[in-house]
Amino acid sequence: MPVKWVLHWHPNAGSTVNTQILTELSQCAESINGTKEGRWKSVLTYYRPILRDQNAPAEYARDFMGLALQEQPDKYYFTIRGQRIVLEADSAIQMIMEKLQSYKSRVQLYFEGIQYQLGDFQLKVGKVVPIHSESLRGIVMEVEYLPLSSLEKSRQIMEEFIDIWQETVSKKSLPGHFMHIEPNFSEYGLSDHYSSLHTAVQYATVMAQLIATVRN
Amino acid sequence: MECVVQGIIETQHVEALEVLLQGISGVPKERVKVHELCLKSGPNLGVVSSEVRLLCDLEQPVPSWTVRHVGGAMRGAGAEQISVLVRTMVESKVSKNVLRFFYALGYKLDHEILRIGFAFNFQRGAQIRVTVTSANKMLKLHAIDEAVTVTPGIQLVEVTAPASADSYNEVVAAVSSFCEYLAPLLHLSKPGVSTGIVPTAAAAAASLMSNAGGKTL
Repeated sequence: MPVKWVLHWHPNAGSTVNTQILTELSQCAESINGTKEGRWKSVLTYYRPILRDQNAPAEYARDFMGLALQEQPDKYYFTIRGQRIVLEADSAIQMIMEKLQSYKSRVQLYFEGIQYQLGDFQLKVGKVVPIHSESLRGIVMEVEYLPLSSLEKSRQIMEEFIDIWQETVSKKSLPGHFMHIEPNFSEYGLSDHYSSLHTAVQYATVMAQLIATVRN
Repeated sequence: MECVVQGIIETQHVEALEVLLQGISGVPKERVKVHELCLKSGPNLGVVSSEVRLLCDLEQPVPSWTVRHVGGAMRGAGAEQISVLVRTMVESKVSKNVLRFFYALGYKLDHEILRIGFAFNFQRGAQIRVTVTSANKMLKLHAIDEAVTVTPGIQLVEVTAPASADSYNEVVAAVSSFCEYLAPLLHLSKPGVSTGIVPTAAAAAASLMSNAGGKTL
């Protein structure tokens, strides 16, 4: 599977994300000759424990994340960030979680937007919105380099691409910038060879950042 | 959803059952070696306590893991009258760290068991699967190499078939009629309704084995 970096928009202090920024970012993708390839969407779900006694000491994961990716329609991914666990399952696992009635899905978010092709790169720029709502919670970007699946071997070319991208974006003088935080994949037992499990871990990292931004 | 019936057979007659199943199926048996871990939710977790099974298929070159949730049996007068149990069942293949995942969610190991035996699959009005296994318990945690049999001399026979809410009547009928083929060797009934071994088993087995002796299967 090709390597992918997931980046999130980090607004400058005092500013917030808005749809105008998203529009300008789409223009950036087109200005560097990105051709539109259709839409993409991922669905992220937060699960929280259902506790009989809220005051009893919690020996459970406080929350964990489920992820449905468009490129893997039959699969589902769970990430428990606190314990560095990422699990791959069939999409039927969602039905099992529902039947167990031990964890409940509390918040669901769409990551959705437009996909662009730029030579060997695939770029996805999109918004993070709660299901049944249009209120923008964040802006994300996925960059894929199609010829390589080794994180290490692709690092340099990815960095070079991101540099060009950041330069293009900076010309727009937008109130913020994209950030890439690479999780320590080995802590999750993942190797250098890229997989959808890596994507799930990156989504968890991006979500932690978005939540921290909102809190600040 | 699945339809299920179970029965027991003395180990000495298992070979005869295999001959019978082989004769009906026409394809070789599938070897079964499954490490089954039954997990239960911790004391404070969930609306009600819940149970989930993790199955590790040890017959695969790389052991593969499945999560299985078995729900409640169908109830009501209609369900009482049929001789097959109809229950909800959901399965999902999962990556190998699934035990760690469920521990992190607050599930605890209730018991574990190693099932060893064989299975046959049939397409007879439904996708029927017959598994014949001996249950083995581990004396030490996860020590599958040192497992000892739980019921010496007895093996479990399980007949299952996937069904849906619309189709279960036909699947029940298919499973019931399939069970008749096995009737001389064993009684099959709803799980939990034990009917013991059948008195005709020894004679039926002897007859099957003598027939099998002269044929190439």
